[in-house]
Amino acid sequence: MDVNGDGVLDVLSGSYSRQDKDMAGLFQVLHGEKGGTYRKAEVLNGSDGQPLLLPGGEGDGADISRICTRAFACDLNGDGKLDLVAGNFGGTFCWFAGEGPGKFAPKATWLKAGGEDMKVEMHSDPCLVDWDKDGDLDLVSGSSSGGAFLFVNEGSKTEPKFGAMQTLVKASGGHGMVLGGDDAAMPEVTFGDAHLKGPGDDTRVWVDDVNGDGKLDLLVGDMVTLVHTAKGVDEKTAREKLAAWQKKQQAFFKQPPPEGEAGQQKWQKEYEALEKEKEAFAKDEMTGHVWLYLRK
Amino acid sequence: MVTLTLFVPLILAAPQGPQFEAPVRMKAGDAFVACEAPGFACPTWHDVDGDGKKDLAVGQFKDGKIKVYKNTGDGKLATGEWLLAGKKPAEIPGVW
Repeated sequence: MDVNGDGVLDVLSGSYSRQDKDMAGLFQVLHGEKGGTYRKAEVLNGSDGQPLLLPGGEGDGADISRICTRAFACDLNGDGKLDLVAGNFGGTFCWFAGEGPGKFAPKATWLKAGGEDMKVEMHSDPCLVDWDKDGDLDLVSGSSSGGAFLFVNEGSKTEPKFGAMQTLVKASGGHGMVLGGDDAAMPEVTFGDAHLKGPGDDTRVWVDDVNGDGKLDLLVGDMVTLVHTAKGVDEKTAREKLAAWQKKQQAFFKQPPPEGEAGQQKWQKEYEALEKEKEAFAKDEMTGHVWLYLRK
Repeated sequence: MVTLTLFVPLILAAPQGPQFEAPVRMKAGDAFVACEAPGFACPTWHDVDGDGKKDLAVGQFKDGKIKVYKNTGDGKLATGEWLLAGKKPAEIPGVW
């Protein structure tokens, strides 16, 4: 998107946190240059010259509503100026009104649905598009638990009013993490990635007509943890050894918490040794894929 | 028990959502589009290179880098290349 209105494509991104006490995140822009290259990331300021920040609650401690996940530039209120809609750790959405090319109001307002803050579970991920083709912008979002969700704009192009959340793609239910949990919940591992049939957790969405058939499709990015067998180890052996190792891991975490610096160092060494032990028969791979949902 | 047996196929046959075909994991070249660890793929469909065809750009957690998969125009994507700032892969600090 062309954030500063100079006719050259820019890249707009949220960034999680500036690691200050309130954990507020920043907005970053890679300004495009003619010739297709980009400048280094620059913090996006509000029209008051200060970095744009998500509004926080009361108090001066860490506030998950200020941790920025994803930013999206669009003309939400139809005034011809590019606005900014942002998601956060807490799962809500806020709107910075545009004040002309590259300028945004310093203070944001939370987007509402039915009088309440619009919200997905956590890690809101706004992508605005005229989903129902009625001339105004609707909001589609991923979430920390996966899936894709739609808030239809039931107002107008100039006075957006969002309806209740609808599910476009069900949340994955945590299948992004193959390992983990306590004794009762430990799932049997599936090696490799051939078993993947859809997105995992922590989804990020984009909407466009990808195949050119005139219908809006959905792109969904995700996070998934895969488990591979170590070189030379067959699946049966790896599965047996992994089951035994998981019991050791669970016993390890049931120990009383370490005390003092020496105790923490000992705990850390033992933990690293345990992880190293697993590498002899299985290896985790954290990655993310992109899934295409073509509209029927 | 009989009731369950009768109803399970009906539930499975019901459409999960009315509007989509089954999801397809996107490929670029012969490989799946994939992020570096720890993942967190954030896709965008946009004409990045200005050739009139929309490309796939995927942001990731690690170093806040973005990989661009050019649309080759035959329904396929080329192998990804990092989006550059100057001559180095662009990095966005503090990205989730």
